[in-house]
Amino acid sequence: MALTALICDDSLLARNQMKKSLPADFDADIVTATNGLEALTVLRGQEIGVMFLDLTMPELDGVGVLEVIKAEKMDVFVIVVSADIQPEMQKRVMDLGALAFIQKPVNSDKLSAVMRQYGLI
Amino acid sequence: MTELSFTEEQRDCLQELINVAMGLASDKLARFLNTFVHLQVPAIGLVNAADIPAQFRGQYQGLNSSMISLGFFGDGGLRGETILLYQLDNASKIAALLGYDDDANSEAEMLTDISSILTTTFLNGLAEQLENSFSYAAPRIIFSRDNDFISKLEQTAFHWQLALQVDIRYQLTDYSFDCNMILLIPGEAVLKLKTILDHVLAEF
Repeated sequence: MALTALICDDSLLARNQMKKSLPADFDADIVTATNGLEALTVLRGQEIGVMFLDLTMPELDGVGVLEVIKAEKMDVFVIVVSADIQPEMQKRVMDLGALAFIQKPVNSDKLSAVMRQYGLI
Repeated sequence: MTELSFTEEQRDCLQELINVAMGLASDKLARFLNTFVHLQVPAIGLVNAADIPAQFRGQYQGLNSSMISLGFFGDGGLRGETILLYQLDNASKIAALLGYDDDANSEAEMLTDISSILTTTFLNGLAEQLENSFSYAAPRIIFSRDNDFISKLEQTAFHWQLALQVDIRYQLTDYSFDCNMILLIPGEAVLKLKTILDHVLAEF
């Protein structure tokens, strides 16, 4: 059975950029969420193998999502994809359990390398 | 203004490009101030340039404020002017933390430095995503304590038809630092911007 991947970003452009940047050999169904609260609803409703998570979002931001994932010990790989590239923010999300941090706009080679590193492709 | 107004897709696209450009500017500001900058989703809106002064009159009048303006010129007729509005309550504190001398000249120097980081880094980041490149005019600083702030804004806004208003709050770890950034863009440059956004959208 194919993996299900969740793309969480408030911007339609960013979600589309993310979809298009995914490696061709990544065999997954894609679902999307437009803010952190929606992402949590998806995570609680179905098995998600990997989530691509934006940080700066309305309702609940990416850090808030990571905090809930950690507190509830949810089993999901999280790759943060954000424009907030401050070193302190990168450290913060890694400390909260994110697998990797990718700078926006997403670079498909970098994304492939990270996904290969963690056996997602 | 109808032909100049943005579709929902264009607005979303511009908002995301602005987010990325803001991320670059905040990172640079954080390194400069040696602190962490809390980024929020910026509110962007397209308004008549003539309406701008009245709006900021309420927000800034009577406060110790500063306005710094920077003109930018890109390829293909994309041009405009950015205006940064600051409340200066924390300016002397920030100046002291950064090791500037404790006088009005140093405060002006600090504001110019910070504005240059915020506007130039922001605009360079935006230009790169638009596959354009900007050159800049020399910045102009106007302090409210020396001048009638709003009348200067009126004089500036008068030259432009449309304003892309980006409200940004840079909240630092140790102190808050409120500023509003306004991009003033002439009508023909808005049409150019819309065309570029459509190209970006067509790629995805």
